[in-house]
Amino acid sequence: MTVTESTASRGIELLGVTKSFGSNHVLTDVTAHLPADRIYGLLGANGVGKTTLMSLITNHAFRSSGSILVDGDDPDENAAVRERMCFVREDQKYNDAFSVKDILRVAPAFYPSWASETADRLTERFRLPLTTKSKRLSRGQRSALAIVVTLASRAAYTFLDEPYLGLDASARTIFYEELVAEYAAHPRTVLLSTHLIDEAAPLLEEVLILDQGRIVLQTDIDEASRGSFVVRGRESDVLDFVGGRALLTQRRLGGLLSVTVRGELNNEEHRRADELRLSVEPTSLQEFVAALGIHALDQSAPQNQTEKAP
Amino acid sequence: MSPSADGRPIFVEIADQIADDILVGLYAEETQVPSTTELSVHYRINPATAGKALNRLVDEGIVYKRRGLGMFVVTGAPDALRARRRAAFTDEYVRPFLAEGARLGLTLDEIVELIRKDPS
Repeated sequence: MTVTESTASRGIELLGVTKSFGSNHVLTDVTAHLPADRIYGLLGANGVGKTTLMSLITNHAFRSSGSILVDGDDPDENAAVRERMCFVREDQKYNDAFSVKDILRVAPAFYPSWASETADRLTERFRLPLTTKSKRLSRGQRSALAIVVTLASRAAYTFLDEPYLGLDASARTIFYEELVAEYAAHPRTVLLSTHLIDEAAPLLEEVLILDQGRIVLQTDIDEASRGSFVVRGRESDVLDFVGGRALLTQRRLGGLLSVTVRGELNNEEHRRADELRLSVEPTSLQEFVAALGIHALDQSAPQNQTEKAP
Repeated sequence: MSPSADGRPIFVEIADQIADDILVGLYAEETQVPSTTELSVHYRINPATAGKALNRLVDEGIVYKRRGLGMFVVTGAPDALRARRRAAFTDEYVRPFLAEGARLGLTLDEIVELIRKDPS
């Protein structure tokens, strides 16, 4: 049955995707399968390749090697696939002469599933000035416009790259509400990158964590939220307790040591921590991602003063 | 809604919230609880997470599915929840409470006296 086949291949498949600018490897051997109709968080520090990955999938840039399939087709060779994707870049440029109204009027030509009622509702909720020329919009207004276009596009593959630069807490809340409502009513695949990880975490079903051009973790949100924990106490007790486990970060305060450890503790280990009077606390997803990033920076540093001291 | 400080996943937190509401009678027996979509929009959470919360309550025998209609509160759910919470009361409240008392050097008699004197 062809129906089964097309369902099986729905989604994004990345195989060994690499992007280099000369000797600078922005993405290295990225392999991942993103089944359709889920909201994904693309997380990681600045410069790890999040925007580049979105640009490659949406065919805004060309990969150096590897393969990208969206619903089984290469976007590079298939215009029909490209029509199913919407990616408004964080630094999106519009025709200077265009007002907000003009941009929203031409948008349906690019997005066949355009929902003007969604565009109208969002424009009003974000209080976007319709007659203002695009170049006169503030940072927050440009972000709001990008959100209006991406959500109203109802594109099967929707890419949101740092969608809320310059947006205040109220505008971000409106965005979260509208994203969930739109997604619930019209499911689609959403890839969202953000630094406000803890704020965005409840919206996500799965996360992909990028580090220095590689995917270091792809998992569901509950698993990712249990990615690490912090142990704090007397230095010798902490080191004794964590034993051979991989430590992401270490911080000292007098004779106290606080370490971020990858993974989870079982009940037995929790009891032992209690006996040693160690405090064990879960980390938020944001703290986990930050700890991974700090760990990577420390690893790549030429000298590690603490460890190399005689 | 975000993961709580004790590290409970969001779906557990939502399930606990609905269970609290059932316990105090905000959702009566055999009445409907909010749908996946209603929960996700209200709490601004992923619909899959809202679905997991409802499934957890189904697994615990607190709500049940009426085909094509939605999720409803099981008859006897408030009593069942109360019994379960009472069973967990020692672990979740009494033990940490006594441990803090011990850290402060309070004797059991002193703690009992504090409880007796508490105006609430």
